[in-house]
Amino acid sequence: MTSRGRTPGTEAPGPQPASRVEVMGDGGSVLATARSRIRRSVPLILAAVVVAVIILVNLLPGQETDDRPLSPGNPAPQGARAVAEVLAAEGVEVVRADSFDDAVEELGDGPATLFLNDARQYLSATQVADLVDAADRAVLAAPGPRQLTALEEDFEVLGPLPLDLGDPPPLAAECPDTDATAAGTLSATGTAYSGAVECFPTTVGDATGGLFVTSEDGAVAVLGAPSILSNGSVTDDGNAALALRALGSAPTLVWYEPTGADIVSSGEGIDPRTLLPPWVDPLLVWLLACTILAMVWRGRRLGPLAAEPLPVVVRAAETAEGRARLYQDSRSVAHAAANLRAATLSRMARRLRVDRSASPVDVLEAMSRHSGRTRTELQQRLLDHTPTTPRELVLWAQELLDLEKEIPS
Amino acid sequence: MITGRLVLLALLGVVPVVLYPGAASILLWAALLAAVTALDLSLAASPRRVGIVRTLPDSVRLGEECRSALVLRNDTPRPLRATVREAWQPSAGAADPEQALRVPPGESRRLAVLLRPTRRGVLRVGTVTIRSSGPLGVAARQVTVPAPGVLRVLPPFNSKRHLPSKLRRLRELDGRSAVQIRGAGTEFDSLRDYVRGDDVRSIDWRATARRRDTVVRTWRPERDRRVVVVLDTSRTSAARVLDEPRLDTGIEAALLLSVLAERGGDKVHFLAFDRRLRARVDSTAKGNLLGSLVTAIAPLEPELIEADWSRVPAQVRAASPHRALVVLLTSLDSGAVEEGLLPALPGLTGRHAVVVASVRDPRLEEMTAGRSTAAATFRAAAAERALLDRAAIADQIRLLGAEVVDAVPAELPPLLADAYIRLKAAGRL
Repeated sequence: MTSRGRTPGTEAPGPQPASRVEVMGDGGSVLATARSRIRRSVPLILAAVVVAVIILVNLLPGQETDDRPLSPGNPAPQGARAVAEVLAAEGVEVVRADSFDDAVEELGDGPATLFLNDARQYLSATQVADLVDAADRAVLAAPGPRQLTALEEDFEVLGPLPLDLGDPPPLAAECPDTDATAAGTLSATGTAYSGAVECFPTTVGDATGGLFVTSEDGAVAVLGAPSILSNGSVTDDGNAALALRALGSAPTLVWYEPTGADIVSSGEGIDPRTLLPPWVDPLLVWLLACTILAMVWRGRRLGPLAAEPLPVVVRAAETAEGRARLYQDSRSVAHAAANLRAATLSRMARRLRVDRSASPVDVLEAMSRHSGRTRTELQQRLLDHTPTTPRELVLWAQELLDLEKEIPS
Repeated sequence: MITGRLVLLALLGVVPVVLYPGAASILLWAALLAAVTALDLSLAASPRRVGIVRTLPDSVRLGEECRSALVLRNDTPRPLRATVREAWQPSAGAADPEQALRVPPGESRRLAVLLRPTRRGVLRVGTVTIRSSGPLGVAARQVTVPAPGVLRVLPPFNSKRHLPSKLRRLRELDGRSAVQIRGAGTEFDSLRDYVRGDDVRSIDWRATARRRDTVVRTWRPERDRRVVVVLDTSRTSAARVLDEPRLDTGIEAALLLSVLAERGGDKVHFLAFDRRLRARVDSTAKGNLLGSLVTAIAPLEPELIEADWSRVPAQVRAASPHRALVVLLTSLDSGAVEEGLLPALPGLTGRHAVVVASVRDPRLEEMTAGRSTAAATFRAAAAERALLDRAAIADQIRLLGAEVVDAVPAELPPLLADAYIRLKAAGRL
């Protein structure tokens, strides 16, 4: 323990002559640097690959998520998979068309029935008319009034059937159409249409119309109650018979559900991007590349950071401040008052040369000799009075300071 | 590694991209950039073949400046256009750690980094980074070379300014008549003629009888006594008083006292101790005391452990087997002292003259005066309690036979020196 060799003064590396030795390079090479960089970035690359795969998987269209109402692949009560399956079992080829062009092409291949389920009314009247023309037989599921305007046949929307709480009574066919007569009755609500042949008649307001309306030759039919096709209600009354007969008359059934991609711009709104000059997109791509270059330029540090061993910062008065907060939080007015009193007495004793072991009364005696106040007054103010609230404590503490100032040193 | 010029060149590519929109112009310009970068990289001098020699001063006093000089030797056949960075830790206060430098092939160039340290201790530099750019300045190669260096920053010894006045007082002790400084340890010095004012009791009647004039005996202060300075480096020394750690104030006081005692003809032993010995310097060793003291003190840091005072008497005995003046530079915080210092003091006061020196926080006195709000009054009460505790501990230490020097940071070194002179004059060493 006493040997000088163990003192840190000799342990610490001094300004040794080794620092005068020439240092050259870091012992590596370009290849080694590149290899270590790649090795270090392997986890990052792996993470990027995983993220990319996750994004790709999410972007790919999911086949299993077919939950649209009246979709031939949807087995839920709102779906229409039952009808599609039965038709397929009967030898009808059910083809799902993904786009408008797809549907027209499929219809042109041979004798085919079109089932158009456009609940959101994406298609325009011309598109609906083109589809109907291309098909040998067309069944339109609840088309909108706008979509019927371009048809050669004359259909009109009367309006939705009044909402009937409870079970609506089944409607009878009461028309010459063979499909409807075969079905007999229909239990559903929907929209009433007027046309050449009105089956399952009902009244909306003053006018009368039907839930299943066909043209004279029966080539175009409007089904006002498409819910009869749904898995949940296809077995009620004559729903199944109407559905199968209406859709299964041709060897091919083109089942078309338009999407937002089938909307044709009507020419009223212009895509603002078409107004931009053609070099804007390449410019943006190039500026992105420049930004990445600038990030690489500014992002590379000139060597590693230098570490600083930080000193401990403790303020010496911190314990006193902490004790003050404790006094305040617990409202220890009596404690604080005792401290202030003891401090004043000890200061006065030192200033008036009273013996260290003297009692407070002796100190008061000396104080009264020097201040001109009577001993009882001093005793009352200093010893006997003890503040009870913080407010009193402040006033009393200031009084103590004033008293101290009265005593000349 | 690319530079701002390459980014500018890439931005110039906006022109062909706008004039000939399409993938072709983008790809062509990107290929041009890649070609220029590759060409510039291949023409840049290899930073791995640059020799570095650092020249550092051994030590520097805190508050003064020094230069860290780097000599870079270009060992490549190509001119080196480099940006060089010396990675000093921030408290070294490097004014210009990054510098541009051109070194022709086969030659050497010197660059100097100005250091103005802001902390006492051992400052380190770990690496030198060289970024060597090609002749076009669009791309650069960068290498970080491990080139460790150490700079010892010595304590400032600001209390040096008190030294002349204290030395004068020390010399005034010489040649005083015996009565004024009557004590056990004074030594007979010489006889001289009586002058008015000398105490008649110090007249040497036998010598007076031999001569015609009245002769008095003079004494000189005892010499070759021992002073042991023990600096506490435990956790209490980390606390800051007026934004200076107690340790640094203690160092100032220890330096002044040591230099004064050495000039006064005493032997000085310096110990820095908490649970084990951190530094030890003896004036009996060869060389100048101040130099070896500051070198030993420079790396001292407050250790966050409790001091073990029970082992201090043994340390003092090892430094000085005879009676000595033992100066303990520590703190008088209640709690730590009652359990550590007080039980160990009797072991020292029995053999030695002991002075306990401590830094008082002037903030406490400020806190006692503020009584305007409830919070301030509670603070005043807490500060009064801290001061009363301190006073009580000082009384206990005095009862155990030691002196107490309790002063604010600026006054501690001169007051400690005064205490030494007083004890020396009284012959109590």
